[in-house]
Amino acid sequence: MLCRIVQISALFISTSLLAAEHWSFQPLKAGKGNSIDEFIQRGLAEKGMKSSPRADAHTLIRRATFDLTGLPPSDESDSSDMSDKHFAHLVDSLLASPHYGEQWARHWLDVARYSDTKGYVYAREEKQWVHATPYRDWVVRALNEDMPYDRFLLLQIAGDQIVPPNSPDLAAMGFLTLGRRFLGVTHDIIDDRIDVVTRGTLGLTVACARCHDHKFDPIPTRDYYALYGVFQSSAEAVVPCAVVRNEELSALVKKNRELMTKRRGEQMARTRARSADYIAAQKDLEKYPEEVFGQLLDDKDLNPFIVHRFTAWLEKHPGNELTEDTLKQLGSPAFVPDEHIANIEMYFPTGVTTELWKSQADVDRFIIKKSAAPAHATVLVDRPLPSMPRVFIRGNPLTKGDEVPRQFLSAFGKQTPFTKGSGRLELAQAITDPRNPLTARVMVNRLWQHHFGRGLVSTPSDFGKQGGAPSHPELLDWLAQRFIDSGWSIKAMHRLIMSSKTYQQSSQSSDLSDPDNRLLSRMNPHRLSFEEARDAWISAAGRLNRLVGGRPEALFASSNTRRTLYALVDRENVPAVMRTFDFANPDLSIPQRTETTVPQQALFGMNHPFVVQQAKSLLNRPEVKSADASTRIHRIYARLFQRAPMSDELNFSLGFVHEDQAPIIATADHSKSWQYGYGEWDESTGKVKHFKPLPHFTGIAWQGDEAWPNEKLGWAQLTASGGHPGNDRKHAVVRRWVAGTDGSYTINSTLIHEPQVGDGIRAFVSHSRLGKLRSATVLGVDAVMNLDTIAFKAGDTLDFIVDIGSGLNSDQFLWSPKITSSLTAVTGAGGDTPNDTWEAEKDFSAQPKSQLTAWEQLVQVLMLSNEFMFVD
Amino acid sequence: MNTIHSRREMLTTMSSGIGWLAFSSLAQQAVVKGGLAAKEPHFAPRAKRVIFLTMRGGPSHVDLFDYKPELIARNGKTASLGRDSSGAKLFGPVHPFAQFGKSGQWMTTLYPKLAKHADDLCIINSMHTDLPNHAQAFGQMHTGSFQFVRPSIGAWTLYGLGTENENLPGFITLNPPADNGGAQNYGSAFLPAICQGTKLGGSQLPELYSALLKKDVAPGPPMKNIVSASPRELQRAQIDLIRGLNERKLERDGFNPEIEGAIQSFELAFRMQSEVPDVLDLRSEPEHILKLYGIGQGKDQFARQCLLARRMAEAGVRFIEIASPGNWDHHNRLRELLATNCAATDQPIAALLTDLKARGMLKDTLVVWAGEFGRTPYAQSEDGRDHNHKGYSIWMAGGGVKGGLTYGATDETGYKATLNPMHIHDWHATMLHLLGLDHTKLTYNYGGRNFRLTNVSGEVAKGIIA
Repeated sequence: MLCRIVQISALFISTSLLAAEHWSFQPLKAGKGNSIDEFIQRGLAEKGMKSSPRADAHTLIRRATFDLTGLPPSDESDSSDMSDKHFAHLVDSLLASPHYGEQWARHWLDVARYSDTKGYVYAREEKQWVHATPYRDWVVRALNEDMPYDRFLLLQIAGDQIVPPNSPDLAAMGFLTLGRRFLGVTHDIIDDRIDVVTRGTLGLTVACARCHDHKFDPIPTRDYYALYGVFQSSAEAVVPCAVVRNEELSALVKKNRELMTKRRGEQMARTRARSADYIAAQKDLEKYPEEVFGQLLDDKDLNPFIVHRFTAWLEKHPGNELTEDTLKQLGSPAFVPDEHIANIEMYFPTGVTTELWKSQADVDRFIIKKSAAPAHATVLVDRPLPSMPRVFIRGNPLTKGDEVPRQFLSAFGKQTPFTKGSGRLELAQAITDPRNPLTARVMVNRLWQHHFGRGLVSTPSDFGKQGGAPSHPELLDWLAQRFIDSGWSIKAMHRLIMSSKTYQQSSQSSDLSDPDNRLLSRMNPHRLSFEEARDAWISAAGRLNRLVGGRPEALFASSNTRRTLYALVDRENVPAVMRTFDFANPDLSIPQRTETTVPQQALFGMNHPFVVQQAKSLLNRPEVKSADASTRIHRIYARLFQRAPMSDELNFSLGFVHEDQAPIIATADHSKSWQYGYGEWDESTGKVKHFKPLPHFTGIAWQGDEAWPNEKLGWAQLTASGGHPGNDRKHAVVRRWVAGTDGSYTINSTLIHEPQVGDGIRAFVSHSRLGKLRSATVLGVDAVMNLDTIAFKAGDTLDFIVDIGSGLNSDQFLWSPKITSSLTAVTGAGGDTPNDTWEAEKDFSAQPKSQLTAWEQLVQVLMLSNEFMFVD
Repeated sequence: MNTIHSRREMLTTMSSGIGWLAFSSLAQQAVVKGGLAAKEPHFAPRAKRVIFLTMRGGPSHVDLFDYKPELIARNGKTASLGRDSSGAKLFGPVHPFAQFGKSGQWMTTLYPKLAKHADDLCIINSMHTDLPNHAQAFGQMHTGSFQFVRPSIGAWTLYGLGTENENLPGFITLNPPADNGGAQNYGSAFLPAICQGTKLGGSQLPELYSALLKKDVAPGPPMKNIVSASPRELQRAQIDLIRGLNERKLERDGFNPEIEGAIQSFELAFRMQSEVPDVLDLRSEPEHILKLYGIGQGKDQFARQCLLARRMAEAGVRFIEIASPGNWDHHNRLRELLATNCAATDQPIAALLTDLKARGMLKDTLVVWAGEFGRTPYAQSEDGRDHNHKGYSIWMAGGGVKGGLTYGATDETGYKATLNPMHIHDWHATMLHLLGLDHTKLTYNYGGRNFRLTNVSGEVAKGIIA
């Protein structure tokens, strides 16, 4: 009974007051203990448990190498001696590797909801960020240099205020500016920034307080809007973060600036000229909804956004008159600030906004595409007149409540309003203040999590009351204190963690009294992340391009052998395979990826050409290819597992590759008589110049790459029944038939070009000795292309060539010739051989779908086995 | 329940010396890892699965389901619908309406075959959504939010109910449009990746090209990576080898639920490889069924999709979405294009309803016909209509909804929902309710908040439940 009363009365006390008692807001406590192992051992001892023995050297090397670099150890790694000293030395060398930064950057990029693209935007705007690559590369560099974590955060939140112009460190601010665009709605952009900063650095879900006081944590709505004010008083700006100059770019930027200045001037004049109308509109405010989504405005309309600027000004300056002079001043409702279009698109009529975005897009594209362009950052800069935020009641911007000063969160003690500009630097300093216990706790927990698979706090971005309680609170505080004392050195933390017996213990265990392993009586094995798996496959094949930094590339472009970190992340279109393998959603700050094991992953491994391609490359390595079967298996094991096969493994592998393979259904294999390629039509010789085979077979089409169209060969494609020419006359598609025996042959074919649009296609039939036999130019019609009794010698070819008309437009066609040998010409066949016929469509479908050899199958299997896919 | 712990494996596991405790934790974790095993709903469901027919582009409700005599009477008069219409002329329906079925439901005469099912349809004439832009409204129709990336209703359904057949994906979308947010419309956002929709049919061939080839938009492999490069027996040998290797490792390592999960995933994948093509193979359907749907008659892609939807529903797929063949975004040539779209969808949809009913499946299959919004009662460019999000129509059938019912209403010209307005959130809440899920309890904790499909609103429309 008493209990109930207490509960009920508790409801009347502000939840905030109670929650401030929550452990995570308490200062770091100096607990009893001097090493990780001491804390862990104590936890185990309380339950009568013991830690596991040290893992073997081979496992330790693999574990440390994947943990720190995301790559497999080299097959030459010496595992003969793994004394503590040697292991420490290994850790040091891994920390010194440039690949360390790549691996740990990826963890941070998950938190930073990193994407190379903006997400949904209107077509007028460039989709790709100009500053994504520099931000990603900055994170890699900062981690490689072991930049102190407090500075790492300061630069990401307020870099504009601590480093000089053109500094590469400006790129850090991508942390704030890489979020989705939310169609330009300021409230949502700011919400995203508040969320990424507070969850990312403090483990606090401040964004929950947008509409009401936080239900569980001491975060009132006022705190949310105090931070809202900080970001509202900051404007986006795109600035170079390198000292290189590029004349062409300067010219584009100048042109863009001039246009902007002109349009701003016109808009200000327009508003001043109609100030009376804007004032009159105040009586009719509901006609001018503040949220101006999708509204089309022309220059005669009153702009609803400006109407509301008048409302705000008039409220602030009661009794004052808006004179022509006042209207020209900074802060007047008619004034259009001199900022990047992203900040001020609401000020203009729709047509002007589109024009300004297009002009900006020209600049953006130059920066993105041209390697000569200096790197650019999108930073926030303080606005000249910071604004005093007002609480939006229930999160609705239309119902404004009290004003709140810009200041830090109330849970951290007495609040003092920020005084410098927007207060962003003060915010960053408050976050990195060593007296703030959350920042260090949250970060050491993240580091712990990526070493052990789970944080001491299992909700790494939520240290509030809804989050998990720490499994080892004293250890967490001890680590946090060590972190601060080390000068916020992340690498020092890695050394500390990895030198512990806890980290080095084996993952094998038969003690099951703690199945979730909260107490860490053994190491947690983990499946490779998608990035680690792809990198490991390419690396095993010996094809990994280890270049650090630079522009993103399409994930499955066959030329892309770079680390997966550099695969293009398009948040509008994340490749299905990445989603299947639990890649972090780039729209949301993700502190921990879900780890699923689903059949789609297995399907990728078994059936996607990528893994097979790596298996083939591995087998093609000279030292593998040249070796006898047994040595070959040794070398394969060395590359994949960095160890020798055990004798039974060797035996079953040998058995597997020697088993008889079912022969492929070999119907009178006419499919071999056809080749699929491209080249350039040469009218003077009547033949194709530079015939090259189309490199990629999808199972239904030959083309340049897995994607279609693709960068390599554009639209060029041949299917069973037709195809599409390449993008220019140099890339005609060529279906080539090769005569197997001497004789004369009859050709029947109809070329169909169906679209009535565009300028049609050109088609040629060309004989390797006789030159051009037929040609046609067609647009929306059929052309019969028959040839009677043409003489061939074995090895002669007949090409069916199609290229574009004058331009690339609706050039797809159908053309599947049929070739029949003429009986009379068959020599020595006794005269009763039935006519032999080659049908392009049928023979196309009979092509073997890249049948794997037994060796390829074996390597593929090993590449998908758990020994490869898991780190113990 | 088809979990990964078959009896045989349980025995193997136990015999290799791992005790019961380990197994129970293992079972628990495996559910988290796989996440798809069928789960108990919150209360007795009326519908076990959903077939969602997406009519992208915004079909004109005032021409299809929302009969407005006043609009016919005032045809050509200036619309006075506030700022939005700015002097445009009201525009009566471009094709006649009639009453159908015992219930006398008003419907366009462009849907003669569907009209025969009038008594099965629950027509909702009071839908409204937040924005009249395709991309946002399309996203909101699927995820409840036009602004943020949120899980699709199919993902929520799968998250809430799991699947009835683990050898097939639990949420399938057939040839979804690549625009209007693309994959986000069938994405899982913060829900586990396993809940996301599996796209069948790619976008490898553009529509124009496929029309030329007289083949589906996606003649390629139906599902990513479902086609094996090797013959089946060879792949079986490969998988046996993987299994052998993995079991050896398991023996060495002892307890490891993840590794057991990985072993199982290969077996599941192997079964999926044969089951997916089986479901997709229409050759096993008798002639009269093919005829019913109109398969083999001209452009029959949508007809085949409707039949596939039934086959998937039968095979235990939880949520199936198919997209209309044409776009309903009729800013002009409304008269002609509306007739074309109706003709393309009439027979297949009617056949789907007939077929489901004949198999006794309509009662627990919720069939939904919906676009992202409707169109204005006033004209645009003489023979067209602009987007209208303030009032529009959808219909549902089977799965526990009242047939022969017209629910809610717009104002006299069909501009704005006035009677029993049904916001997207209300509609989603109602669909989840029919599936046995309480939309306020189907939550997922992410970023410190319990998220739901209906955000902080949504009211179940009890009036449409049979």
